[in-house]
Amino acid sequence: MASLDDPGEVREGFLCPLCLKNLQSFYQLQSHYEEEHSGEDRDVKGQIKSLVQKAKKAKNRLLKREGDDRVESGTQGYESFSYGGVDPYMWEPQELGAVRSHLSDFKKHRAARIDHYVVEVNKLIIRLEKLTAFDRTNTESAKIRAIEKSVVPWVNDQDVPFCPDCGNKFSIRNRRHHCRLCGSIMCKKCMELISLPFANKLTSASKDSLSTHTSPSQSPNSVHGSRRGSISSVSSVSSVLDEKDDDRIRCCTHCKDTLLKREQQIDEKEHTPDIVKLYEKLRLCMEKVDQKAPEYIKMAASLNAGETTYSLEHAGDLRVEVQKVYELIDALSKKILTLGLNQDPPPHPNTLRLQKMIRYSATLFVQEKLLGLMSLPTREQFEELKKKRKQEMERKRILERQAVLESQRRLEERRSDLASHAANGEVVSLRGGPAPLRKAEGWLPLSGSQGQSEDSDPLLQQIHNITSFIRQAKAAGRTDEVRTLQENLRQLQDEYDQQQTEKAIELSRRQAEEEDLQREQLQMLCEREWEREREQFRAVSLHTRTRSLDFREIRPFQLEPGREPRTHLACALDLGFSSVQSSTAVETPSPLSALEPVSVWSGPPALGQESFPQSTVLQQNELASLNPFDEEDASSPTAEGTSSPPAAEPSFGPSARSLKEYNPFEEEEEAVAGNPFANPDSPAPNPFDEEDEHPHQRPSSPPVPGNPFEEATCTNPFEMDSDSGPEGEEPIEEELLLQQIDNIKAYIFDAKQCGRLDEVEVLTENLRELKRTLAKQKGGTD
Amino acid sequence: MNVVFAVKQYISKMIEDSGPGMKVLLMDKETTGIVSMVYTQSEILQKEVYLFERIDSQNREIMKHLKAICFLRPTKENVDYLIQELRRPKYSIYFIYFSNVISKSDVKSLAEADEQEVVAEVQEFYGDYIAVNPHLFSLNILGCCQGRNWDPVQLSRTTQGLTALLLSLKKCPMIRYQLSSEAAKRLAECVKQVITKEYELFEFRRTEVPPLLLILDRCDDAITPLLNQWTYQAMVHELLGINNNRIDLSRVPGISKDLREVVLSAENDEFYANNMYLNFAEIGSNIKNLMEDFQKKKPKEQQKLESIADMKAFVENYPQFKKMSGTVSKHVTVVGELSRLVSERNLLEVSEVEQELACQNDHSSALQNVKRLLQNPKVTEFDAARLVMLYALHYERHSSNSLPGLMMDLRNKGVSEKYRKLVSAVVEYGGKRVRGSDLFSPKDAVAITKQFLKGLKGVENVYTQHQPFLHETLDHLIKGKLKENLYPYLGPSTLRDRPQDIIVFIIGGATYEEALTVYNLNRTTPGVRIVLGGTTVHNTKSFLEEVLASGLHSRSKESSQVTSKPASRR
Repeated sequence: MASLDDPGEVREGFLCPLCLKNLQSFYQLQSHYEEEHSGEDRDVKGQIKSLVQKAKKAKNRLLKREGDDRVESGTQGYESFSYGGVDPYMWEPQELGAVRSHLSDFKKHRAARIDHYVVEVNKLIIRLEKLTAFDRTNTESAKIRAIEKSVVPWVNDQDVPFCPDCGNKFSIRNRRHHCRLCGSIMCKKCMELISLPFANKLTSASKDSLSTHTSPSQSPNSVHGSRRGSISSVSSVSSVLDEKDDDRIRCCTHCKDTLLKREQQIDEKEHTPDIVKLYEKLRLCMEKVDQKAPEYIKMAASLNAGETTYSLEHAGDLRVEVQKVYELIDALSKKILTLGLNQDPPPHPNTLRLQKMIRYSATLFVQEKLLGLMSLPTREQFEELKKKRKQEMERKRILERQAVLESQRRLEERRSDLASHAANGEVVSLRGGPAPLRKAEGWLPLSGSQGQSEDSDPLLQQIHNITSFIRQAKAAGRTDEVRTLQENLRQLQDEYDQQQTEKAIELSRRQAEEEDLQREQLQMLCEREWEREREQFRAVSLHTRTRSLDFREIRPFQLEPGREPRTHLACALDLGFSSVQSSTAVETPSPLSALEPVSVWSGPPALGQESFPQSTVLQQNELASLNPFDEEDASSPTAEGTSSPPAAEPSFGPSARSLKEYNPFEEEEEAVAGNPFANPDSPAPNPFDEEDEHPHQRPSSPPVPGNPFEEATCTNPFEMDSDSGPEGEEPIEEELLLQQIDNIKAYIFDAKQCGRLDEVEVLTENLRELKRTLAKQKGGTD
Repeated sequence: MNVVFAVKQYISKMIEDSGPGMKVLLMDKETTGIVSMVYTQSEILQKEVYLFERIDSQNREIMKHLKAICFLRPTKENVDYLIQELRRPKYSIYFIYFSNVISKSDVKSLAEADEQEVVAEVQEFYGDYIAVNPHLFSLNILGCCQGRNWDPVQLSRTTQGLTALLLSLKKCPMIRYQLSSEAAKRLAECVKQVITKEYELFEFRRTEVPPLLLILDRCDDAITPLLNQWTYQAMVHELLGINNNRIDLSRVPGISKDLREVVLSAENDEFYANNMYLNFAEIGSNIKNLMEDFQKKKPKEQQKLESIADMKAFVENYPQFKKMSGTVSKHVTVVGELSRLVSERNLLEVSEVEQELACQNDHSSALQNVKRLLQNPKVTEFDAARLVMLYALHYERHSSNSLPGLMMDLRNKGVSEKYRKLVSAVVEYGGKRVRGSDLFSPKDAVAITKQFLKGLKGVENVYTQHQPFLHETLDHLIKGKLKENLYPYLGPSTLRDRPQDIIVFIIGGATYEEALTVYNLNRTTPGVRIVLGGTTVHNTKSFLEEVLASGLHSRSKESSQVTSKPASRR
């Protein structure tokens, strides 16, 4: 990506900035870069060290390791491919297997059936409407009955000697009752009543949506007997009369059933349960994350690589935005989890399971995505990164140049050897300068190109010369010579390239050096100071000790980046050395050889001479400059808060002041590096932090993806986090400590359950320590 | 040809088609197994499938805010359950997928039950088999035959499974079967029948060389399932038993609660995927590496967490670490248990003799070794019985056969009646009389020279010298040399070219050793893809149950047992 921004690089060689491979065209380079380095690129450059980033790295490492394993097995498979066959795991994916749809058939059958039911239900509702259309309370019974009978013909009493539902014989005591909706007869026991409000509800709803309504199930109506029109018997008349429930409508169980189902349908249509609303919101948030996160990651990666394509503020805003969405997801899923928990009849276990699973998948989601959410550099870090990136690029170029020089030198030597061996004419005197050395076989630089080259530097001139040599050689048909010449030309071009960048390097390096020196001195001072303090107060508190350990631990770590500059130096010196050699070896005062020492000596030696004697200093210097990053690496935005302030403040009691001498630096570095960043962020990652761990912890013991359809194996992670929600943001340190304690408690619990006693021990130790810190801190603030 | 992928694709398609929203997956007992082999819970959760229910479970709540995806076998019971479900729908909308061909009348009765119009989809998705590995499938049928003939229920299930496999891979094959087995012929005919009946389903793009379905019978090679295994997957199955990728470890002494049952799936367990075909020794060293890796990852623990930074790092890495520790502890436990069993049961020695019995023809030394082991108190009755079974199978017709003596030894050792009876049952099941081809003495010159050379060179690994008979069969098949008089084609047409896509099905169950053989054949033979299937995947124990279920021993009481028993008294 970067190489493409740098026109000098692209123009001449299409060299890959990472592996220095020379590619033929811009497009090839691009594709090469994407293929080869897109992965490592992030690792190399993404030097930001925050919790998230670190976690991601760990994950990456793991993935990569696994990936490597895979590749290994893959290559095994590939090897065997060369024997012939293919590992079944590598079989190319096939298309979806055969399918057959019965939907149209199904629909055909269903439609026939449905029509029947729709008609049935509609009929009932229309009748119900008629029955309730008049003012029942103020109409006399006889009239009501007349109306009722006009709605549906009543079944003849004589036709039904037994109740069709319960089978009891009708008699004077067991009277016949008519359903007002279908006209059938049943006994009193089997009779149902429809209240007016219920009827109204049904009729009004069907008025609204008669068209959309579907028919509920119903047992066939034929049971109700025939519907021949008839005159009501005395008994049935009296049955109406002796019950004065005029505000209710009698009907049979079947009609009532149908209507009840209809009511249920209406209810369902109108009612959306809370969980659905919450869930929809949750999904919206997830979609948003899916949308924004890649965008942010792109930005962060670019920024962390020291590029300036995006603005830091913008990325920061986006980060906050994304994190807010995460918070929202967390909150929503938590809410879903606890839905209806304190209702009196506790929800059905399946409902709870559903809620649990939604929560679980939300945490999985957050875990997966949030871990990928790398942090942004602070402003200072960003500046450094930019610088670093520049250096990196230049270092690479130097390496490249060195290689080129080396080969050139060798070529040169060979040539001079050749010259001394056969001095008489067969020599192709390359470095023989533009004009005078023209033997029988020598090539003349073309005058035209010479004219051009006069304005630029000697290297360019040389390049032009060689181009013209090549042309001549080609014309003469000396292919081997053409080849050597072309080789030469390429090297020259490379050389020119480097030369240009060299100047820039030198400048920036000088600057960096000065800065480093200053910083290193400061660091040294601080360290010495602090070392002294540490000696004094070693016994005072555990935390001082831990701190010191902490620091020492980091140191070897720091050495590694420190080593880089050394090799850097070494190669610079090497470069210098080789160029000296070449300049001595090559006697001919060609423009190039004259130029070489200049270009080389001007840069690295300056550095080498100055810095090599005090390389240790420089190293530490580098360390110092790298320090803030490492510090960041070890800690997280969340943890930043917990670690430094509480550790530094309360536990040092008497040494507070002297520590402050140390602290200012540390604080400065951290405050500058970490805090502005950590403060706004810390409330955000916290909840997730916890969440991340809980779900993992449980299912992982029975291997996570394992028991596929086992019930979520008593996945209690959720129970634990109820107490650790996103609480107030005020006293961050304490809050964080408390949360940390909570976390560890949860782990202990888990470990105990799984019987890992050693873990329990370590964790308990941890817990104790944390508690102590907390107590101290509280004491300190009080 | 990847069967795992084929099933997974079906499931993904179902979920995809149901659109966004909370979903419940409604399955029956068998489809639950089918789905769980290809999808993990967390994977399926990501697709908004939050609940998994059995169609036959009574305790399901009405949840109208869920969409239901029904993946069911088209059995009578399932259709009935579904009809009930549709009459009183518990979910808002139903996507119904049957794992096999469903009759038109069933569709009609379902349609008539759907009075509330909740069904949005009715399809056949032919994921009707258990996809074990990309090249291995099973139907989880134990005891498919009664005597020499099919149990009719199992025959129809097997036919369904096999045709579903063909459909899911989109193969319309030519069929060859083992002539010596009546069951193989029967199955071949049934499959052919289905293909003819559902011809429009089987209309796929024609390939140059049509795929081949080869149907074999377990009784042609009863040796392979009787051997102890030393590659990881096969060994785990032999000693612990794999059931739908799950391993029951509850009998392991001192097992922790969360390791009672573990899942070994190559789909999401990298270590397992890389090691399932390696032998025990290699796994030992790999697991050591895994452990070391793991130890490196958890330095914080041993160092003691001294600083807050340490603790933070610990807490941060804890989930990661736990996850890894899950894998590590799983495999360490499994391998640990394997090696415990190996030493407890003296399996190295047992296996050596087993291999000698299976691969060499030196009767006297074999007999001597078997006798020696039968005296060894460490050898379990199970292993003792299987040694005698192997002996009985190999030297069935040997002139100086001393099976009766060995049977006496078994009795003296206190081996239970059940196992002693099984010896004759196994001979009855897979003895010379039944076999269509010769298991032990190679006939053609090439094979004889090969064996001779092998004898000269000595074997590299004495425990894995056995090659399943299937290897030879497939080798011949690939080279176009498989004899048509032993393995005839069903129908008039024959394959001119060498086959490319081969599906081998073993009635009576395949083994993991054969799966490994097929895996290696796939890897080493250019242009050939082979998928292996069986009514089940056997270990010795399940194989003996299969033999028992076939009921051969009881029938043999009257015939062969009678002849062998007086012999033992002699």
